[in-house]
Amino acid sequence: MKTYKIIVVENDEDEQFFMKEGFDSTGLFEIITMVKSGDELFEWLEANMDSQPDLILSDLNMPGKNGYDIIDEMKASPVYAAIPVVITSTSSTPTIIAKCLTRGAADYVVKPETFIEYVPYVQGLYQRITDKKLVK
Amino acid sequence: MIPNYQLLFETLGEAILTLDRDGFILYANPAAIQLTGYSIEELVNLPFRKLYPDDEDIVKAEYELDLAQKHGRFIVEGWRRRKDGSQFWSELTLSPIRQRNELAGFSCLLRNISEKKTHELNLRKSEERFRLMVEAVRDYAIFMLDPTGHIMSWNDGARRLKGYRADEVIGKHFSIFYTTDDLETEKPRRELEIAVATGKYEEEGWRIRKNGSLFWANILLTALFNEQNQLIGFSKVTRDLTERRDNEEVLRQSEERYRALVEQLNDYGIFMLDEKGRIVSWNEGARRINGYTAEEIIGKYFSIFYPEEDLISGKPAMELKVARAQGKYEEEGWRLRKDGTRFWASVVITAVYSNKGNHIGFSKVTRDLSERKEAERALKLSFERYRQLASELKEANTELQYANQELEQFTSIVSHDLQEPIRTIKSFLQLIELKLNQGQHDDLKTYINKSINAANRMRELIHNLLHYSQLNKNDVVVEKIVVGDLVNEVMQNLKTAIDASRAEVRIESDVEQIEGDRVQIVQLIQNLVSNALKFTKDNNPQVVIRCSRENGQVKFSVADNGIGIASGDMEKVFEIFRRLHTAKDYPGTGIGLAICKKIVDRHRGRIWPESEPGKGTTFYFTLNEDETTSLPRK
Repeated sequence: MKTYKIIVVENDEDEQFFMKEGFDSTGLFEIITMVKSGDELFEWLEANMDSQPDLILSDLNMPGKNGYDIIDEMKASPVYAAIPVVITSTSSTPTIIAKCLTRGAADYVVKPETFIEYVPYVQGLYQRITDKKLVK
Repeated sequence: MIPNYQLLFETLGEAILTLDRDGFILYANPAAIQLTGYSIEELVNLPFRKLYPDDEDIVKAEYELDLAQKHGRFIVEGWRRRKDGSQFWSELTLSPIRQRNELAGFSCLLRNISEKKTHELNLRKSEERFRLMVEAVRDYAIFMLDPTGHIMSWNDGARRLKGYRADEVIGKHFSIFYTTDDLETEKPRRELEIAVATGKYEEEGWRIRKNGSLFWANILLTALFNEQNQLIGFSKVTRDLTERRDNEEVLRQSEERYRALVEQLNDYGIFMLDEKGRIVSWNEGARRINGYTAEEIIGKYFSIFYPEEDLISGKPAMELKVARAQGKYEEEGWRLRKDGTRFWASVVITAVYSNKGNHIGFSKVTRDLSERKEAERALKLSFERYRQLASELKEANTELQYANQELEQFTSIVSHDLQEPIRTIKSFLQLIELKLNQGQHDDLKTYINKSINAANRMRELIHNLLHYSQLNKNDVVVEKIVVGDLVNEVMQNLKTAIDASRAEVRIESDVEQIEGDRVQIVQLIQNLVSNALKFTKDNNPQVVIRCSRENGQVKFSVADNGIGIASGDMEKVFEIFRRLHTAKDYPGTGIGLAICKKIVDRHRGRIWPESEPGKGTTFYFTLNEDETTSLPRK
C-alpha cells in the first residue's frame, strides 16, 4: 500500500499534536513537515526543493497566509501548481466548500468533532485520495 | 298733242314712251332716248318688246300689255335692254290710253332703278351670308321667334341640339322646349316679357329635346325691334351645357366630399382665411381644438387665437407675410382656446391662390399637440421615475450585496472562528474523561487550562462580534466634535498601553472640529493607535496622529514606525477575524480594523493603509466624502 508524503498546515499546536498521532497510528501517510501557516509552508517549500510532498493538507482559517492564500499561491506557481492542496476545516458550510474547490482545492475534508477522532479521519482521507486519484 | 304737254314730256327726267295699241313705239321723250341708247328715229315704230332682255319674247310683252289694259295700270320690275345690249334694272309702269272708250295705245314710264337694285342686292347677299352662317353654326341653336313666341327660323345647330327639323318646328311655339314644371309656372311667357322689358333674357336651365331627353341649356333671348321701335320678334341662342354641367357636377361632388371630409376631421383644425386673415371657413376639428363654433368665429381675425405677447410682437401678421412670401409658414407654439386656456399647437399656414393665380387667402391647419406633449412629459416623468427606481434598486442591491457579504462573513465566523474554541474545549474535555477513565491524572491540569483559554478566546470573539454587529444597528449620531477632545479621549483610553510600550504619540492638527458620531470616531482612532502600538519590532513606538482639511475634506492619518504591511496584504487587513500574524507574535482577534472599516463606511468616508514593510504603516481615513469632492488618495 502506497504511503503518501504529506505536509500538514495547521496553526493550532494542540490540533497539530493530535493530527500527528492520528496520521502516525495509521501508517498511511508520511508527514514530511507540519507548519503553522501559509507563510511557513512556502518558506519550507523554498528551503526543501528536493523533497516535494505528494499532497498538502491545510487548515482554512489561520493567521498570516490562510487556506485560500495557499490555494491561490500554489496554483499561480509553475513549480507547485501540480501539488494537490486538500483543505480541511471545522466548517461543513456548502458555500465555503464550494469556494475552496472553485479556487482550485483538490478536495475539502471536514475536521472531526474532536481531536481524539483523527484515526478514522485519516483513514477516510486516504480512501478519498485513492478513489479520486488525487495523487498522480 | 297739246304743246304744253309736249314740253312737259320733253323736259321730264324720267323716260316716257307712248305705244300704239299693238305695242309699237309712237313717241319717246329725250330721257327715254338717253336711257335706251336708241335715236328717236330708231325708236319710232320699234316694238316695245325690243327693250326686253329677250326681244323675241312676244308672249311676255303681250301679257303685260294685256294686264295693263285690264287693270288700268301695270307695274313691274325687271331687266331692260339698251341698244348696245347692256341691261338695266327698271321699274316699268304701263297704262292704257283710251279714246272714245276704245284702246288707242299705252303710256309707258320707264325708271332706271339699277342703283337701288344693286344696293338691295348687296343687302340681300349680306343677309344671305349671315343666314348661311347662322344656319351653318352647329354648336348653337339659333332661331327667330315672332313677337308671340312662334318659331320663324331654324338653323342646323338647333336641329342638332333639339332634334327637330326646320319643317317640323317652324310655326310652333317655342314653349315646346320647356319642361312641364316650367310650363306650369308660365316660364316661357315670363322670359319673353323680361326680354321685351330689358332687351334680353339669359339663363341656364333644363330644356327638352324632341326625343324627350333633357339637356342643360344656356339660353340668350334677345328682343328685336324695328326702326319704329316696334317689337318684331326675338332671336334665341341656345347652347348645350350638359357636358360642362356634368363636369361641374363632378367637381361639385368632389368639392362636397372634400368639404365633408375637412369639416368632419376631428384631430385637425382646418379653416380658411381671406387675404386679410379673417376666418371664412371652420371645421369640426377647429371647433374641438379652439372651442369656437363656426357661427361665432367666421368673420373674426385669426389673431384671436394668439397669446397677448404674440399680438404685441405682431406675430399673426408676420406669419401671413411669411406664408405669402414663401408659400407656407410652419411652427409649433402656444395658442389660446375660447376659454382662454393655452394649448401647444402645430400650425401650418399655406397661401391659397385662385386658378388665375390671384392670392385669395390662406388655409390654416392646426393640431393640438398638448396631448402629445403631455404624453411626452408623462413618458419623461415615468422614465425619470424608473431611473430613480433603478438607482434605488441599484442602491438596494449594493446594500443587499453588502448584507450578503456580511452574512457570508458571519457564516464563516460561526463555522470557523466560533466553532474552533468549542471544538477545542470539547476535545480536551473528552481527553480528560479518557484520562480519568484510565486513572491517569498527570496532564489533566494542562487540558483544563487549554479548555479555559479556548473558552476565553471564544468569549472575546463573541464580545467583538457583538460589538461589530452593533455598529450596524445604531444610527450614526452626527454631532460637532472638537478634534482636541477626540484625541484626548483616545489617549485617556489607551494610557496603560501607551505607558507600557513607552510609546511617543504626537498630534498634529489644524482642524478645530469635525462632524461625526463621537463614540464611533473615538473607537476608530483608538483602534488605529492601538494597532500602531502593537505591531512594532522594538520598544519605542513612534505614533503621529494628523488631522487636516483639504478642499473642505477632513482627512485623518495615524502613522507608526512599526513592522509594516506587505503590499499583497493591504486589502486583507480589513477582513473580520483576519489576522496576518499568529496570536503568539501579535495577539488579537482580527476585529479591530474590520470595526474601523465599518465606522468609516458609516460615515461615508474611505480608509486605506500605506506602508513600507519594516519601516512603518500609515492609515488614512476621510469622513463625509459625499459632501465634498473626493480627494486623491495621496
